[in-house]
Amino acid sequence: MSAASPAIGRSNLHRFLSGYGQEIVVLLSIVALFIVVGAVNPRFLSDNNINSIFAGNAYIAIAAIGMSMIIMAGHIDVSVGALIGVIATIAGTLAVAGYPVWIAWTVPILFAIMVNAGVGALVAYTRIPSIVVTLGMLSILKGGLITATAGEWISGMPVEFMIAQMRPFGIPSAVWFMVGLTIVAALFMRYTDFGRAIYAVGGNMEAARAAGINPERTVVGVFALHGFFAGVAGILFATQLQVIQSTVPPNLELTVITASVIGGVSILGGTGTVIGSTLAAILFACIGSALIFLNVSAYWLRAVLGLMILATVLADMARRRRAR
Amino acid sequence: MKKMTLGAILALGLFSGTALAQSAWTGGDDLPTSPLACDGTPAAAVSVPYDGGAPTNPPDRNGKKITVVDVPKLIGIGYFNATTKGILDAAAELGNVDAKTDGPTKANIDEQITFLDNYITSGVDGILFAANDPVAIAPVLKKALEKGINVVGYDANSTPDARQWFVNQAQFNGIAKALVDQMATEVGGEGGVAIVTSTFTTPNQARWIAEMAAYAAACHPKLKWLETVEAQEDNNLSFNQATTLINKYGDELKGIWGMTSVATPASAEAVTQAKACGKIAVVGLATPNAMKPYVGADCVKSVVLWNPVDLGYAAMHVLRQVADGTLKPGATSVKAGKLGELQVINGSEILLGAPYVFNKDNINDFDF
Amino acid sequence: MTATKLLRHETILAVLTVIALAVLASLSDKFFTVENLLNQGRLMSEVGLVALAMTFVIVTGGIDLSVGSILGLTAILLGVFWKNLGLPLPLAMLAAIACGTFAGWVNGFIITRFRVPPLIATLATLALYRGLAEGISEARSVRGYPEWFFFFGQGEVLGVPFQLWLLGLATVIAAVILGLTPFGRATYAIGANETAARFSGIRVNATKLWIYTAAGFLSALAAVVFVSRVTTTRSDMGTGLELDVITGVVLGGTSIFGGRGTIIGTVLGLILIQALKNGLSLSGVKGDGTIVVIGLVLIGAILAGALFDRNRGG
Repeated sequence: MSAASPAIGRSNLHRFLSGYGQEIVVLLSIVALFIVVGAVNPRFLSDNNINSIFAGNAYIAIAAIGMSMIIMAGHIDVSVGALIGVIATIAGTLAVAGYPVWIAWTVPILFAIMVNAGVGALVAYTRIPSIVVTLGMLSILKGGLITATAGEWISGMPVEFMIAQMRPFGIPSAVWFMVGLTIVAALFMRYTDFGRAIYAVGGNMEAARAAGINPERTVVGVFALHGFFAGVAGILFATQLQVIQSTVPPNLELTVITASVIGGVSILGGTGTVIGSTLAAILFACIGSALIFLNVSAYWLRAVLGLMILATVLADMARRRRAR
Repeated sequence: MKKMTLGAILALGLFSGTALAQSAWTGGDDLPTSPLACDGTPAAAVSVPYDGGAPTNPPDRNGKKITVVDVPKLIGIGYFNATTKGILDAAAELGNVDAKTDGPTKANIDEQITFLDNYITSGVDGILFAANDPVAIAPVLKKALEKGINVVGYDANSTPDARQWFVNQAQFNGIAKALVDQMATEVGGEGGVAIVTSTFTTPNQARWIAEMAAYAAACHPKLKWLETVEAQEDNNLSFNQATTLINKYGDELKGIWGMTSVATPASAEAVTQAKACGKIAVVGLATPNAMKPYVGADCVKSVVLWNPVDLGYAAMHVLRQVADGTLKPGATSVKAGKLGELQVINGSEILLGAPYVFNKDNINDFDF
Repeated sequence: MTATKLLRHETILAVLTVIALAVLASLSDKFFTVENLLNQGRLMSEVGLVALAMTFVIVTGGIDLSVGSILGLTAILLGVFWKNLGLPLPLAMLAAIACGTFAGWVNGFIITRFRVPPLIATLATLALYRGLAEGISEARSVRGYPEWFFFFGQGEVLGVPFQLWLLGLATVIAAVILGLTPFGRATYAIGANETAARFSGIRVNATKLWIYTAAGFLSALAAVVFVSRVTTTRSDMGTGLELDVITGVVLGGTSIFGGRGTIIGTVLGLILIQALKNGLSLSGVKGDGTIVVIGLVLIGAILAGALFDRNRGG
């Protein structure tokens, strides 16, 4: 990646394309989808629909950024959906209790960072596989949330708390967050020592250690960062509607993980970009919306979705093989 | 290659979708329907002999303290919190019942069966349940009856011989008529309408949709059903699905039915955020608390639901009387505390009453 | 790696299970009765069958998230073959199991032929198989199975539930294959180092293909038992099964990185979880509290194993 670029433009482009191969496949799929579905039903391309595709699913994309970092570091987190449910509930409770909105926004995010740093510490220092720790956390957060709230809905939050419904410069704030955080995270992964350490740890832990990186601290750090993204996602999730369900959103962790891996993050760690995961989250949102627009029978919706995931994955594998 | 695959799949989806979409209303079940008359003339009451089950050699529980467990479809949602409240209210009023609610965190037949099985082993005197599947739950309920446990259902029935009585909140065709009539009134009798439901496998919702289709075909033929979408029991997903419907059909869409207490407020939110209040009607089943913002803002005119607190309350009273031996097969009515006399229908069902319509005038009187 | 070292986690787990059983028995006198224990065996059979195959899968360093969906798909096909296509029920059972097995084979094929990481491949088929189940059934359930069919899920042989015999038999076969045969050694070798295994002449792809196919087969078998136990077919059957199965296997000491794990451990892990669910319920703990305890036990047991290993210089 950091090799000196040859002078010839074509080769540069080629290098660029192969560096971002999966991102480009996903991006092209999104464009293709917009063209095809737009041709069938032009309303698919209306401002409203594009807005709702992006804004309604931004929280998934943001959670997928953190998940990508976790996977790049060679780990996994299956408790992210439960964590987002907990964050949303805490935020709503604080807002209704009359705390200033900035407290209702930041305290849950700090909580998420702390919880995940704890998970990271367990993973890093005791060497328990992350899937075990997070499977455990999934149960603990889910059971704990129901015990604490009994599933009472939260409503009556103040208007200024509803950050996801604000529209600075006419664009939903959730979209600003999604785009902004993706760019910051991409730059961070590429140009900071810590970002590179994440790749290194995911690639080969012992080699990373030999190169002067502290792998344990990196793992705790990356889990904490993931907590931050999950926290922001939780706040957007909480402020999208005027009621908060205070339960764990079903299957959210699967959606987030799928977005990350489809976006080109290798599950073996060490490679991938956060831009890919955001694009993949958008692709999923587009597919979900497109299937309705295309009158795919609701009974077959999930089967078509599964086929599409499979097709994306197989296309990616074929591309990688050609690139080799 | 990638694009080709994608294109092929899209084409395939398009083809199969249009081929299938025109049949019946998606999301209904295939059981026979019995739509009510358009003007609401009640059908002639057919008297059916008692078809419920009976516990084997139950001990004499008359007037004695009993322990009761309530296993709803799932815990942690507003609706079943409300039924639990009713059960606990009734238990406190009766004074000789020790009741608690426990159940799975998602509407899952397997987990519900495991919960029931454990409580049978632990030796409760009575079971209240709301079935995730009428047939799947039957074996474990029959086992309870065999152990001499009193079994009463509410909200979602099992096969009749697997329980003693079932407290029916409102008959399927009654709910269907109320929902369709309400929609027809709000959209002026004609126009495109769509449905947001939980999952197609949820028996009550599937039944209502089938009955709504039958009733609408007979009484409001100009209501054009457009589409049914699934949205689990998930607030944000329901919102996204409803928004997609609004975006897809534009002016063609005149109304949305929300089939669950989650889907209805989320649909109302979608209409609100699309600034389509007054253009798109939202009619559905919902609990009043979740709907207050939308009813208050005049975006939703009315909400149909029975009172789930009353439902739980009635179920607890019925169970107590069954345990006491005062409610016997063949009874034609039951006294249920403050609710007064309730009718027995269909052999072994107890009818809570007509569905309740909440509107701006009365919604603030309810807190559940 | 010596046998004692391999069994270390299992020893800890066995001690933990005995303690849990003792505590739970003291909390409720209904817990430690033959009837309750047999009944719990009945309830854990489906998860248990799938967990046996999952142990192999995870030992190779793979994972199979689609098992719950295969269960749902097989259940639906059983109903469709019998009711809609009019096949005799025994034939419908065989055909459905064959389809479920094929679904497992497809997983293995995608994973070995196209080199798709198992997590991603089965994530896709998780959606695909569940989607097929929903599409084929149009979300309608099939009911009205004949009385004899309920034997598989509700019947007893010599006073012990039928599916417990099935689980026992499958456990013995799985334990023998994994512990004593060249196939088992190949499984461990693949998990420890796939490249090395390939170079030492092990037929890696064929072995993996067999294992994922077996996962499909056992999921399909579990589906028949499940349908028979609950007397109806629904397309949402087995939703979330994969997490229960993986929790049991991992609690049983199988390393998620591959190369380590035993059938005994998996069985102990399953027993511990089932005992906790049942015992806590009998002693008055509610369901939401129980899942918190299971989460804590999962982390705690693996933590104990890891610390123990380290103290022994492992």
